[in-house]
Amino acid sequence: MWSKARDIAAGDTVILWLTRDALQPLIIEPGKEFNSKFGSYRHSDLVGIPFGSKVGSRTGKGFIHVLRPTPELWTMALPHRTQILYLADIAFITSHLNIKGGSHVVEAGTGSGSFSHSVMRSIGSSGHLWSYEFHETRANKARQEFLRHGLSDRVTLSHRNVCKDGFTVIDAADALFLDLPAPWDAIEHAKKALRKDRIARICCFSPCMEQVLRTVSALNDAGFTDITMYETLLRPYDVQQTPALPTIADLSHKLKQSELRREEKRLKQIASGHRGGSEDENNGKKFPGVSAPGPGYESSSSLSFGEKRKREGAEGENEEMLTGEPTGGKRAKTEEEVVVVEDTQSSTPEDVPMNDTPLLLKVERSFGEEKSEMPSLVQPMKINLSKVMPEVRGHTSYLTFACLLPPLPTEVTNESSEKAQ
Amino acid sequence: MSIFTSPTAEDVNGSILKIQSGHNVLVRQPNGDVRSIKIDRDSTVVVGRLGSFHANELIGHPYGFSYEMVNKQLKVLPVRTLEEVEDTDATNELINDGEFVQPLTLEEIQTLKQSGVHASEIIKKQIEQHANYSLKTEYSKDKYKKRKEAKYSKSFTTIEPTIYNVCNYWFNKDQNRIRDIRPDTLSQILTMANIQPGGRYLAVDDASGLVVAAILERLGGSGMLLTICDTDSPPAYPVVANMNFSPDMVQSVLISLNWANSEQEYVSVHAPVEVPADEIRSDRQKTRLRKRKAAYDLLENTREELFGGEFEALVLASQYEPSGIIDRLVPYLAGSASIVAHSPHSQPLVDLQNKLRNTPGFLGPSLTEGWLRQYQVLPGRTHPTMNTSGSGGYILHAIKVSAVAPNAGRF
Repeated sequence: MWSKARDIAAGDTVILWLTRDALQPLIIEPGKEFNSKFGSYRHSDLVGIPFGSKVGSRTGKGFIHVLRPTPELWTMALPHRTQILYLADIAFITSHLNIKGGSHVVEAGTGSGSFSHSVMRSIGSSGHLWSYEFHETRANKARQEFLRHGLSDRVTLSHRNVCKDGFTVIDAADALFLDLPAPWDAIEHAKKALRKDRIARICCFSPCMEQVLRTVSALNDAGFTDITMYETLLRPYDVQQTPALPTIADLSHKLKQSELRREEKRLKQIASGHRGGSEDENNGKKFPGVSAPGPGYESSSSLSFGEKRKREGAEGENEEMLTGEPTGGKRAKTEEEVVVVEDTQSSTPEDVPMNDTPLLLKVERSFGEEKSEMPSLVQPMKINLSKVMPEVRGHTSYLTFACLLPPLPTEVTNESSEKAQ
Repeated sequence: MSIFTSPTAEDVNGSILKIQSGHNVLVRQPNGDVRSIKIDRDSTVVVGRLGSFHANELIGHPYGFSYEMVNKQLKVLPVRTLEEVEDTDATNELINDGEFVQPLTLEEIQTLKQSGVHASEIIKKQIEQHANYSLKTEYSKDKYKKRKEAKYSKSFTTIEPTIYNVCNYWFNKDQNRIRDIRPDTLSQILTMANIQPGGRYLAVDDASGLVVAAILERLGGSGMLLTICDTDSPPAYPVVANMNFSPDMVQSVLISLNWANSEQEYVSVHAPVEVPADEIRSDRQKTRLRKRKAAYDLLENTREELFGGEFEALVLASQYEPSGIIDRLVPYLAGSASIVAHSPHSQPLVDLQNKLRNTPGFLGPSLTEGWLRQYQVLPGRTHPTMNTSGSGGYILHAIKVSAVAPNAGRF
């Protein structure tokens, strides 16, 4: 099954990893060239290099990874065959059917050969797979593929409709897998193909519940036991590195500063409205009841300058709005909240290291004695976050399993009870 | 001799076909609980509070049958298939909670049990006395009977020790000890690591040997599994004992090092001292020296096996910080090898994924979590089970690639 050698040789099947979503199988034929938007590569240049190499294009632009095929990569590399969706099913079926080194397995139909490749990998050269496909073209295509992948000795492929004509083996299979539109029509045949000297197992793969119910009923009628049914999926996660989450302590401080600034402005406006004179004189003298500017007020207002610089344009706009609507204090607050949130979201992981560090340092400095109350400052600058990908597969198929037990040992019980007496 | 030890069955790998003396056999009790019992020839086996039987009765049987224990003897029960339940017009309209419906007292049932009356008799009596039984729907009657059966029946079913069943048993028994690896997750680990008979693999298994057992089962006695462990003695992998492997499935395949002697700079303090032949005073000393040399040689050979590299996959199910393990062991992987790391927690793997993504030499790191839903399939009563496992843990998968193109600068 595919090359196990360290280095790539002429005639090997390799998988070219262009991007995560663009994989392509390739048979190495020196003399040929592989051209794509990821560059230009001579097959002969791939001969003799180890599997898993990153290879640069002859044009100097672009690179590809040349990988050793696995059933999973092979499935991913074929057009219109999406692997990640079915890996969970294939893995689970293999395990539940107890398919392992040396197992004898029967499958119908062969389909695109995705399950076949995976099974042949798991059973090794001492196992055997009997695969049945009723669609002639598909059967021939799969046969060629198995041959090319050096699997002919561990698979017997038949072009055959098992629902009508049954299987070609009797009492042979440890495990049997049915991926057919009407698996119930093949259950009696399946029973013949399964071995009878130990537990044998069957799995029927059906996307619809109605199929499951008919299958379960057929399995039950045929004397299968331990009927169970499962659904299994893989939930892929998306991992992102982001700056440490902004804290409400930061936010609260910003809001307070902005409130002070607004109040400052309001007082100035009132003062200038009354007198039309210099602001310095009015501030704090004529309106002592509104706000008593103390030392704390002074230091805070110096901080607000630093903040203004940091927030740049967004803050400036906000200020203008405030000036325009001096009485709309509450509304302005909401606006500012929105601005703050947007700031955080727009910062991408890439621009974090350059921009974020000085910002946090500046905040740290300007807060002075409040520092100890700011837990956000002792947290790491960057954190890794994960969430499930937004769009995931919600259903593939129902997996119906059942066991076929050997005939009941009635003689044994008689024998042993006689012995005991 | 039972009918099962027919010559043909023995020839075809008889050791794993039948229950043998020395096997650890998983048995399912009527209430669904699974326990492990040791079958030793000529011993009496106790199955919890259900009863006991003579071990020899089970030896030679295939796995999968159900037995009833009657007077310390086993009676094979007929295979049970699903029964169609007839739909009737009955509803629970007239059934109220808290009503006195069962005049049979606990003491009376206890007396019945002690008198050796068969479980089905007790259930029959309970049904006869039950005031509202006839009002129940057929589904409800079926459920009632099953519940009572689980309570009184002295039966059990043997479970074949496949890796699926063994994993399921441990997961239900103590999922912490197998680091939350559920059967579906385990199967994904094997698939993503591309484990195949004849392959050479590296594994770090702090999951009681579940991963080791799974790889050994798939290898079927051919290939190599080198595990790195955290103990100075050979690692104990208790799950492996449940698999009833024949010695050649394990001995020729499994070798181990610990984290200290897997370091390339490590120098063993146990290096054998070369004692000149004329200085060896006794046979005992000779044996001792020979043993020491053998142990040292085994260790050195195993180390060389590791440092020789070209392993086809690395599988981690470890309690230790994964990034350090990756740094240590990935150099021994072949190009295009699979790296599979499992953790019951997402955080260590999230951090690892982010690290690998930004490190040359790792292709397509992906983080996934298995999702599994079991259904009750009874005629007319098919639905997902009400209680299910929340998670089987997380898996990170990546492919090892060579960071620098071998032909870099050629053009």
